[in-house]
Amino acid sequence: MSYTFYPGCSLEGTAKDFHSSSYAVAGKVGLDMPEIEGWICCGSTAAHNSEALLADALPAANLLAARGRTVAVACASCYSRLKMANHHIAGDPAVRAKVAEVVGSDYDGLTPVRHLLEILGEDMRSQVAAAVRRPLSGLKVACYYGCLLSRPPEITHFDDAENPMLMDRLLDTAGATVVDWPHKTECCGASFSITDPSIILDLTDSILAMAQAAGVDCIATACPLCQLNLDMRQKDIAAKRGHRYDLPVFYFTQLLGLAMGCSDSELSLGSLFVDPHPLLRAKGLEAGARLATEVRS
Amino acid sequence: MTPVTKAKEAPGANAGAAPVTVEIFQIGSGLADEVKATSGASPMSCYQCAKCSSGCPVANRGDLKPHELVRLVQTNQRGAVLSSRFIWECTSCHTCITRCPQQVDIPAMNDVLRALSLDEGVAVAGTAVPVFNEVFLDSVRTRGRVHELSLMAVFKLRSRRLFADVDKAPAMLAKGKLPLFGSRVGGKSQRKELFRRATKGGGA
Repeated sequence: MSYTFYPGCSLEGTAKDFHSSSYAVAGKVGLDMPEIEGWICCGSTAAHNSEALLADALPAANLLAARGRTVAVACASCYSRLKMANHHIAGDPAVRAKVAEVVGSDYDGLTPVRHLLEILGEDMRSQVAAAVRRPLSGLKVACYYGCLLSRPPEITHFDDAENPMLMDRLLDTAGATVVDWPHKTECCGASFSITDPSIILDLTDSILAMAQAAGVDCIATACPLCQLNLDMRQKDIAAKRGHRYDLPVFYFTQLLGLAMGCSDSELSLGSLFVDPHPLLRAKGLEAGARLATEVRS
Repeated sequence: MTPVTKAKEAPGANAGAAPVTVEIFQIGSGLADEVKATSGASPMSCYQCAKCSSGCPVANRGDLKPHELVRLVQTNQRGAVLSSRFIWECTSCHTCITRCPQQVDIPAMNDVLRALSLDEGVAVAGTAVPVFNEVFLDSVRTRGRVHELSLMAVFKLRSRRLFADVDKAPAMLAKGKLPLFGSRVGGKSQRKELFRRATKGGGA
């Protein structure tokens, strides 16, 4: 399968660590995914909140630019919008015709869209297993999927809507200990981080409390908004509510990259708000620090 | 809404008491039809099991719960629906529609209700979501992509929330998460045309 990458706006800014760690891992497993040339924003929540046709047209313009290749996506919100547009356009000739008028060319809604979790966890599972050099032994991880990867299932067709396991299996392959916990697919509040942070505090506090109760060392995420909300809001939750978590919140690609021997800077571990280095040191898992125990395959 | 049946109590019964007027409205007309036509969602299929509300992340915020919103749509309580805080607090997480035994697409309904609420000028005071959406889409139209730093700055100015979360942008800048200059994609005039056509409902 030939892939082309749709990074989305967050990966140029607040999620640049997701961008660098995705490409670091892609390099280790031989995943070639050049960016879609001239990609534009998918419209995200703002578009579907405002105008249904625009919310289908912006993704369609990008999917046309993929020229038939499978579109690889990292951001859960982009993934959801691209899949939703495909669903509307392929399923309704009237929508297809309207979108064609708006975009200026006909699009059939059939360009495949895959999240990096699906590509690494389903399409390239054996390559991932072969690339693991330094298993994440002793690291207890809560895999957090958020809303938009698995819902609505009729549209995303992503794993199981209530208990997805793709990230769990990937990190298990990387040697980590993944836990069964109930808040895998709870909502973090997403872009309310800007418009009403009180919603974010309520929701992230409850997710972090559940992760802590599950006894984990850290959380793994697959979405820029999930990561930022769970990571950056820990300071506010401590200040306003007195709940201290100090739980590092990684992108799953950062943990995979660690297990594959990528360097600290390739994975942008320094850009996380809750510093993961004390945890990684305590577990003997620092990037580039475990050559003696390296597993050779 | 005009009642479809209007009956006065038959004379003779309860003679002397004040006459009672019973008005029966047709459930499901008005707002429910409008929502169905524009969003494809079927509010009339809801039988109020409240499974949506038990999983909704914002159901406990003191305004409507999702199953209550659907009931108000069914009974055409236009004012209560369009001026509710709930339609602006929905995070579009899709938990409700994923679990709904009747596939009532509440997130799609809310998209339509938000637009109606703005059109009719009855959006609840205090929500910053409309301003955010406008600033966001403006960035997409002009740059092709969203530049987060400008988005936050313009949003703060436009929503007059200058002092909310003031520590966040400096912290993100320090982490290298907010580049000062965002990328811009060519084809600005075609993009403006795309926006113009999409917001006019397709076609030139």
